[in-house]
Parts: sequence; structure tokens; C-alpha cells
Amino acid sequence: MSFFRITLHRSSIGLPERTRGVLNALGLRRRGRTVFHPVSPQFAGMIFKVKELVRVEEVDKALTKREFKASRTPDPGFYVEKARTRVDMGAGRQT
Amino acid sequence: MFGPFRITNPLSGGLLWKIPWRLSKFQKRRHRERLRAVDGVVATIDAALAKQGQVLPAVERWKAEMPTEAEMLPKDKYTLFDRKAKRYRKGIHKLPKWTRVSQRVNPPGF
Repeated sequence: MSFFRITLHRSSIGLPERTRGVLNALGLRRRGRTVFHPVSPQFAGMIFKVKELVRVEEVDKALTKREFKASRTPDPGFYVEKARTRVDMGAGRQT
Repeated sequence: MFGPFRITNPLSGGLLWKIPWRLSKFQKRRHRERLRAVDGVVATIDAALAKQGQVLPAVERWKAEMPTEAEMLPKDKYTLFDRKAKRYRKGIHKLPKWTRVSQRVNPPGF
């Protein structure tokens, strides 16, 4: 099953209510927002309605919100050591 | 003629927006890129649906009626029909929201 990866590239300010309604129905409420929808005539028709405003790709898998964020986050270049529980070998108690 | 109380368009009418009569070469280039982007979106939708054996009538109609960016004449890319304009053409940038609407074909006979 393949998906449309749709990104709102142009704002809908000043466009007809119908156009803004289609964008809302697609889940594109802000510029730069990316959503995934399955390839079907219904979604294709909605994309066709706003074809001047969006960028579309066909992808194999829909990313969840978290996966999408991870795919866009650059490598920070460092990692934080986790605090480890220390065991006092002499007394056998944890501090 | 001169001085602070001269009669000029902004002073007498309040607001004056001047739209140049032709597009700059940069505007024309960006306009072509937008046209190609729309062509790309339509092609993507069509290819994705074709893989599933589906057909969307709106896309079929678009493909039948609308020329692609490469097929369009410069006249149609950068100007549009206007019955009030001299020689019936005016710059496409006079069209409201012209960067976000598709305007590619002429009325029949023009």
C-alpha cells in the first residue's frame, strides 16, 4: 500500500473557502505541514483541488508523527551519559 | 504643479498601487517553475492512481484540456485574455492570486 506524502508549500490566505476547507480536510493547517494519506481516488481528488499549493510524493510507508520528527532531526553530535545506580561493594547497600 | 498640496494620484485618491505592465525575467522564471511544479503534482497523482488501476475524471480532463508548461506558448504563459484590454491581452500578473491559481488556456476563438 502506498501513500501520498503531502506538504503544504503555499499558504491559503485569501483563497476561497472551498479551497481552505479541502486543506483542512487533508489536515494541512499550516504552511510546511506534512501529512500522509493512502493513495485512493478520494485523496487524489482532494490533492488535485489544491495542486497549486502543495508538494506531493508517493511513498511506500506513512511515517508517524514521531518517526517524521526523527527523520528531520539532525544528529546532535553528543550524547548524555545516563546516571547509573552505584553499589557499595563493602556494605552492599545502594546509595 | 509643485509643492506640498500638488494634486497627485496618491494624494487625491489615497492609495495607489502600481502594477508594472510586464513581468520581469525573474518573475517569468519563477512563474515557469510554478507551472512545472503543478505539472509535477498532476503527474504524481496520475502515476500513483495508475499503479492501482484507478482513474480520476478530473485528472483525465486536465490532461486532455490543459497544456503542460513545455507545450504552452509564451503568449499564454505570461499573458491572459482580457476583453477590455487593448489587443485583448494583459499580463498574467494582473490576475488576482496569480501565483496560486492555474490560468493556462484562452476562451474559444482567442
